[in-house]
Amino acid sequence: MKLAAYPAFTATAFQSRLAYRNQVWSGVFGELVFMFARIAIWTSVFSTVASSSVDGVTLPQMITYALLAGPVLYWDYSRLLRDIGTAVKSGDIAVYLLKPLLYPAYMLASHIGNFLFDLLTVTVPVAIIIAFTVGLVPPASLFHGFAFLAFWFLSFAMLFLLTAILGLAAFWLMTADSLDWFFNSIMTLLAGGIVPLWFFPGWLAAIAGNLPFAWVSYYPAAIYIGQLDPAQVLTAFVVGLLWFAVLLGFLLWIWARARHRLIVQGG
Amino acid sequence: MAIISASSVEKVFRQPKRQAGFGGAIRSLFSREFTEIRAVDGISFAIEPGEAVGYLGPNGAGKSTMIKMMTGILVPSSGTVEVLGREPHSHRITNAAEIGVVFGQRSQLWWDLPVRDSFELNRHIYDIPAPRFADNLARLTAMLDMAFYIDRPVRQLSLGQRMRAEIAMALLHDPKILFLDEPTIGLDVVAKDTVRKFLAEVNRERGTTIILTTHDLVDIEEICPRLIMVDDGKLLFDGELKHLRTALGSRRRLKLEFGTDPGPITLKTAALVTDEGAAKHFLLESEQTSILDVLTELGSGHDLKDVKLEEPDIEEVIRTFYRNKAQTGAAP
Repeated sequence: MKLAAYPAFTATAFQSRLAYRNQVWSGVFGELVFMFARIAIWTSVFSTVASSSVDGVTLPQMITYALLAGPVLYWDYSRLLRDIGTAVKSGDIAVYLLKPLLYPAYMLASHIGNFLFDLLTVTVPVAIIIAFTVGLVPPASLFHGFAFLAFWFLSFAMLFLLTAILGLAAFWLMTADSLDWFFNSIMTLLAGGIVPLWFFPGWLAAIAGNLPFAWVSYYPAAIYIGQLDPAQVLTAFVVGLLWFAVLLGFLLWIWARARHRLIVQGG
Repeated sequence: MAIISASSVEKVFRQPKRQAGFGGAIRSLFSREFTEIRAVDGISFAIEPGEAVGYLGPNGAGKSTMIKMMTGILVPSSGTVEVLGREPHSHRITNAAEIGVVFGQRSQLWWDLPVRDSFELNRHIYDIPAPRFADNLARLTAMLDMAFYIDRPVRQLSLGQRMRAEIAMALLHDPKILFLDEPTIGLDVVAKDTVRKFLAEVNRERGTTIILTTHDLVDIEEICPRLIMVDDGKLLFDGELKHLRTALGSRRRLKLEFGTDPGPITLKTAALVTDEGAAKHFLLESEQTSILDVLTELGSGHDLKDVKLEEPDIEEVIRTFYRNKAQTGAAP
């Protein structure tokens, strides 16, 4: 088969989402509630301190961080987890093996379709609403702005790899529901999606800062508001690429194991 | 050259033993005991290009397992399967491009999208040239009467409509072999008929090799000249449907009606099974015996009113066969 099939999967995933247009409104509403809750928390935190900044970060920067680390970067990955889990549980995964295609690549293609859909219908509208009601800050510098874009790619890839690996674990655990819980709690803490790593105790920040989760939310958002200097940005990028390579290798390995199990055990 | 060949194929599944109840569930977390299930047990056959073969057997006979091995999504425990001269599971992608598969109980259509979009997606997956795709689509749409629902989302379709779409989808890329796992399951009489007629036509007109599993004999009567029958993972019969009766040792039934009770009659060519006086039921001793043989032996002088020869209903033959087997625990 040609590579042209994969963009077709992206388009298909996008189109499938159009079938459930009402979900867009609940998506936007949910993210807005989430954002205003965060804003309320940070506003009250900042109001208790005398200076206008905490650890060198101002309230508008903190709100921008919350938007990026939350709705923008840590978007709805659970659809992918659920899709893989259901395919494994129902045995439909065999159907994908009947077609001349590579399942992980297919997953990525539809994941991109879902991402684009969520970006256009939920993330961008929410960002615009927050920008006009509460206000957002621009990137710390041109360098930080471009670095953020590069890290955004990395963040997307990391979240995809982590989710896909976890989803395929359903082959052995036979359920993806509990995994969703487990993953969400780990991500909430270690990705820095709610509390940035610089508020963590030193030892925990050191650990979390070196685990792949941090590249999902923390690094891109922290770089955007200028918390890392250019040298740190480059180091983080290189380490991120290493993690990317490791996770990609792990995904392909676990898929090979899963496929082997499927063709030997029948699922 | 055979397009599909299986030689001494075995498939053994290891299933973890589950103990009943919560305690059992906990125990099975720590100790892993396995039961071996022999789903396919030493099956061999060869299928020539252009054949239509029905793979018949009761639930759990190992039909789907065999189909999965031929389509390359399951690997045999021992023995070899070759499809188009290749081992299917180690050449999964090449194999997948040349076969079409329909699972009666699994959908390959995109649930939320119009049928046409699923077809369009298959065009990309199988890299079908646009003119050929348009051709095939038009032909299949007409043959399977899909024009009125092709633009409706799959989730709104009836089962019969969906199954027709599934079959069309599997044929868009002109596969050399079409595998169907219980394609008529759950369909109503009309839908079954459409599907059967269509498959027979595809096989006869286009020369597509068809392998289908079913437990509905009519499927086989109408589509497949050849029948492979399995039970308990073992091959019971491989040949033409009309020979099945003889192979299973079932005999034709002859009913003789007399004006007045002629008293007991014994014949060499037919064995008496029930005697109702004026009506007597016989079983013919062999396939070669004709009614004329029986009547000649009977001779004239009996007040014979009517003669009725009954071919045993094939379904009945198989049912009896399975029932006997279940009782005696061994094949006859």
